[in-house]
Amino acid sequence: MYKLLLAGVASVLLAGCSDQSWRTTDIDDIMPPLDFTLIDGEGETVHGEDYQGKATLVYFGYTFCPDVCPITLARLGDTIRRLDDETRDNIQVLFISVDPSRDTPEVVKRYADAFGPEFVGLTGNQADIDAVTNRYRIAYEYGEANEDGDYLVTHSSAVFAFDREGQAQFLVRDSHPVSDAEADIKRLASQGG
Amino acid sequence: MASNVFDVLNTRACRGLALGALALMLGTGVAQASTLEVSNPRLSLLPGNTPGAGYFELENTGESTVTLVGAESPAFERVEMHVSSEHDGMAHMHAIESLEIAPGERIEFAPKGHHLMFMRRVEALSEGDEAEVVLEFSDEQRLPVTFAVVSPASL
Repeated sequence: MYKLLLAGVASVLLAGCSDQSWRTTDIDDIMPPLDFTLIDGEGETVHGEDYQGKATLVYFGYTFCPDVCPITLARLGDTIRRLDDETRDNIQVLFISVDPSRDTPEVVKRYADAFGPEFVGLTGNQADIDAVTNRYRIAYEYGEANEDGDYLVTHSSAVFAFDREGQAQFLVRDSHPVSDAEADIKRLASQGG
Repeated sequence: MASNVFDVLNTRACRGLALGALALMLGTGVAQASTLEVSNPRLSLLPGNTPGAGYFELENTGESTVTLVGAESPAFERVEMHVSSEHDGMAHMHAIESLEIAPGERIEFAPKGHHLMFMRRVEALSEGDEAEVVLEFSDEQRLPVTFAVVSPASL
C-alpha cells in the first residue's frame, strides 16, 4: 500500500514535470507504442502488448554478428546487473532478429539467454519483421553471401526504450555517452508501477 | 605449402594439451616474435554456432613496416579480419584484406572496431578454454597466439 502510494506520488510528480527530458534522444512524441506480431523462443506467436508491465528495451540485430550485437547486448546486461534487485525485475530487453532465415526461435532463444534472464529473443516471418522495422523507421540490408553461404547484415545500431505501458520513451545511439544511457535506463526501470 | 600448413596445425591441435601447458608456463596471453608483440588476446564467444570475435593489441617493435594479412585457427573453418563502423545510426561491418603496422606502431583490435571474425566452429569451445590462432603476415611470418575464450559480457 505504502509502495503504491509512493508510486502514485512519483507518477504525479513525473507527470507534473513532463518537460524533464531524457539525456539520450527523446522519442516520446515521434515513435509509436510498442506493437508487433513475432515469434518467441518457444515458437509461440507473441504481440507487443504481451510485454507490457515492464520497462522494455528493444534492439534489432542478428546472431551471426560477432562484434557489435553481442557487445551492445552485453553492455545493456551490465547496466541491468548494476540495478538493485527490485528495479531489475522491472526491465526486459527484446532482441528482435532481422535475419529470420538463420535466426530460428531456438537460435534466438539460446542467444538471448546467454545475456541474462532479462533478455528475450524474438524472430518471425520476413513480413512481420518488416512491419516492426518500418514501424520504428529502421533499415536493414543483407550483404553478399560468401562461398559458405555466410553473409553479414547491416542494421540499425540503436536501442529503443518503452515504458511499462509500451509508450516510446527514448532512443540510445552509439554516439550517446554510456553514462547517459545508463542514467536513462535506470530512471525508466525505476518509474512507478 | 598449404598442406604443410595444415599438417603443422593438425599436429598442433593433437598436442593441444602439451601446448596449453607450455602456454601456461610462458605466461598465457603473450606471444612474441622477434619484432611483433601481441597482448591481451581474447576470443569473444557465445553458445551455439554463432561466430566469435577476436580482440588483441599488436605492437611492431621492429624497424620495418609489417602487414597483417589474415589469421587462421584449427578451431574454426574460416577467420577474417573485419572492421565495424557506424554511419547514420546503422551498424556496418566489412572485411579487410590487410593492415599495415609501421615501426613502433601499436594497433588495437577492440569491440566495435577492428576484430577477427571466427566462423564455423569445428571444435567445441566455451568460456575459459583457449584457442590457438596463427596471425599471418605478408612476409610469410606466422605468429602463433593463444587466445583466451571469454564471454562478450567480460569485454
